[in-house]
Amino acid sequence: MLELNNVTKNFGGLCVLKNVSLRVEQGEFVGLIGPNGSGKTTLFNIISGSLQPDTGSISFLGEKVTGLTPNKICRLGIARTFQIPRPIKSMSVVENVMLGLLFGSRNSAPARREDMKQEALKYLDITGLRVDEWTMPEELTAAALRRLELARALATRPRLLLVDEFMSGLNTSEVFEASQVLKRIWQEMGITIIWIEHVMDSLMNLVERVVVLNYGELIAEGKPSEVSKDRRVIEVYLGEES
Amino acid sequence: MLILNSVVNGVLFGGVLALMAFGMNLMFGVVQIVHLAYGQFIMVGLYLVYVLAILYHVPLLLSCAAATAAVALLSILAYYLVVKPLLKAPPINQLLALAGVWMVLENACLALFGATYKGVQVVLPVLHVGELYIAASNLIGFVVGLITLAMLYLFLNKTYTGVAIRAIAQDPEITGIMGVNPRTVYLVTFAVGGALAGITAACFVPVYSVHPHFGGAFTLLAFIIVILGGMGNLLGGFIGAFIIGVVTSVSSTLLNPEIGQIIVLLICLLIIIIRPQGLLGVRGK
Amino acid sequence: MKQIKNLKRGILLFLLALLIVWPFLFQSKYLLHILILIFIWSYVTTVWSYMGRFGLVSLGHGAFFGIGVYTTAILFNLHHVSPWLGMFVGGLVAAAIAVVLGYGCFKFGVIGHYFAIATLVLSEISTLVIIALRDALQTGGRLGLTIRSVGTSPLYLQFDNKMYFYFLALALLLLALFIWKKIDESKAQMALKAVGEDEEAALSLGIDVVKYKTAVFALSAFLTAVGGTVYVQFTMFADPTTCTGVGLSLGIVFKAIIGGMYTLWGPTIGSLLIVILEEYTRLFLGSAYVSYSHIIYGLLIIVLIRFLPKGLHGTVSEIFQGRRKREAKTLLAGRQLAENRD
Ligand SMILES: Nc1ncnc2c1ncn2[C@@H]1O[C@H](COP(=O)(O)OP(=O)(O)O)[C@@H](O)[C@H]1O
Ligand SMILES: [Mg+2]
Repeated sequence: MLELNNVTKNFGGLCVLKNVSLRVEQGEFVGLIGPNGSGKTTLFNIISGSLQPDTGSISFLGEKVTGLTPNKICRLGIARTFQIPRPIKSMSVVENVMLGLLFGSRNSAPARREDMKQEALKYLDITGLRVDEWTMPEELTAAALRRLELARALATRPRLLLVDEFMSGLNTSEVFEASQVLKRIWQEMGITIIWIEHVMDSLMNLVERVVVLNYGELIAEGKPSEVSKDRRVIEVYLGEES
Repeated sequence: MLILNSVVNGVLFGGVLALMAFGMNLMFGVVQIVHLAYGQFIMVGLYLVYVLAILYHVPLLLSCAAATAAVALLSILAYYLVVKPLLKAPPINQLLALAGVWMVLENACLALFGATYKGVQVVLPVLHVGELYIAASNLIGFVVGLITLAMLYLFLNKTYTGVAIRAIAQDPEITGIMGVNPRTVYLVTFAVGGALAGITAACFVPVYSVHPHFGGAFTLLAFIIVILGGMGNLLGGFIGAFIIGVVTSVSSTLLNPEIGQIIVLLICLLIIIIRPQGLLGVRGK
Repeated sequence: MKQIKNLKRGILLFLLALLIVWPFLFQSKYLLHILILIFIWSYVTTVWSYMGRFGLVSLGHGAFFGIGVYTTAILFNLHHVSPWLGMFVGGLVAAAIAVVLGYGCFKFGVIGHYFAIATLVLSEISTLVIIALRDALQTGGRLGLTIRSVGTSPLYLQFDNKMYFYFLALALLLLALFIWKKIDESKAQMALKAVGEDEEAALSLGIDVVKYKTAVFALSAFLTAVGGTVYVQFTMFADPTTCTGVGLSLGIVFKAIIGGMYTLWGPTIGSLLIVILEEYTRLFLGSAYVSYSHIIYGLLIIVLIRFLPKGLHGTVSEIFQGRRKREAKTLLAGRQLAENRD
């Protein structure tokens, strides 16, 4: 479904991604891990078109998408959340989700405002966020804002969802709840997911395949059980702790 | 010969332009503000020279010095009343507030002096060098411009405040590391910027008569030079000034002056859109 | 709540009715003249705010106004083309320039104060073009031009009785307010609001940022030029300082700031205040003192930007309705530069 070929990205002199190649199949649930600053978010920015790669190419559903603007890529079916939530603060939570409904997909949104509102509330419900029509983003907690990010991305009706850190700062029960949300999106809605997370256990339990980035290089890839035994991965993570 | 002549005069005029653009560039580099009322400060300087020299018969050089000091003070005032409260506001608010300053200064001069041209009649000779005709006024402007810039160079390189100003111009986030108070640096920058506007005005005395709508064109001219050299890039602005000096001088000799200016402005637009770091600048961070 | 709404509607209908019968009740030519000016500037300021309220601050609307003025005037004076057609041509020229400039700016991410400056340059260019064409197209340069008079002629949009302009200008203003409402109900409003606040987030939701911004810029430019046509037919005289350029552009922006650009009536109230202020100083102090009114409103701008960035009407209506903070807190919600870094 998604294919990255030798993607390289430099910021000034800093090489943030080095020859990254990656394939994701339809229906997969892929975890993307790596230490802070290893280039995970940058990879999402490149897939979603916010940044252009210096070299390399990206294709989605067999079509080349390198060079397309983020809005076009979104309408092709790739949605992303931001690591630091970016709600439109002057709009209500529901209106934020409506944005996704209205603009995010080629399929048209419901014509009547009332229907659209219900639809938006439905997506909020999927992410476990219960709000009324008038709730403003500034009233939400950090964890709830992440759910809004997710609901808004889902409202664009994507086929591939890029989730950037959904769980940081949650307690144990919230982490469990959050993983149920992602699981439902993957299994019941049938959306392919690439998920960046630092909460390792939860990620390892959920995903089918893990990809590990370190200093912009893809150093390991495979089933969670295999990757967690990989010598280089252990080194990277032990190295980070010491 | 005609062209060579206008090239030479353009280069000389470029000295004053460099001075003028330097002030705006410094304020952009250090305070990150586009000083939309900069040309109006020059205009005020010219009016002050006129008032002192013509109405009060103060000697011309003394008038120029007093006007420079006064414009520097005015600039400090503008900093305290308009810029400082908006330092954290979106840049567009700062821009519009300075547009308000533009409006106030322009109309204050209109109210005080009327819409007619006011000037100090200084008759300066035109020098013959070989086959070239050089306006002495341009030569004076050139010399004053270069001397002032040389002094600025010393200030920015040899004094602690100067080094801090330069450091901030290169990297606005550096103040914490340097242990300098950015507000002090901003204040000095505005004072220096104002003084530069004043000296520019003094150099303009033999060249232009002043009227209330005089400032706008010079704000834009300074701005174009800054854009050409790359905003906040002081060396780029210096070179840009000479390019603009020559281009305007030659184009007004060859074509009609408006068409020359339109071409310059169109190029300026293209640069804003395509290469905001300036034609001469290297891409920054 | 509902009662307040009905009351408000009642007052508005009454005002509208009053404005419609006004010229028949009161014969004062002077008042009629002032009202026409208020309508025209309210119209232009409202149309400017279509963009301004979404953080797109154009300092180039003086140029668009001037395009309307001079296209009409030149086509009529030189080629005897009816101003009705000239109005349309002027609008199209303005819109075309807006599309080219806007597309360039928005495509390359020129936003916020950079966009303001780019459009400011356009204003300056417009003045220079008019001066440069003083002979080629008989614009008269700085001295200005006069529209050839043909007496009263609806076909040529000339009327000795100013009442016709009164209704024309009033209709334009109503049209501008109506379009504002229409934009508010459309999905373009949501798109522009999102784009004004956070362009990157908007893009990630599939919003075609360049398209919406360019479209609203073109619409605003077209309508501004139309205003220029009506203005010049009314005054029958045009010169670069009053009809185009940086000064006029700033004047439009300032009216919007003073009234408040985020509310439907803000631009109208700002224009009303400014025109009255100008006329008051002209009338009671003499026309040599008009510059004093400009000093006052320059100062007002500086103070307002600092203390009431939403403008007079915006602030008042917010206090009155005590509603949630729905509009951006800053005067112009610029793009947030929050980088998505750790
Ligand atoms: N816009 C940018 N400009 C310069 N450097 C950046 C930019 N975005 C990210 N970086 C740098 O790239 C590196 C990788 O960042 P990021 O992709 O956010 O890492 P991760 O998400 O894995 O923590 C970091 O060193 C970061 O500082
Ligand atoms: Mg990250």
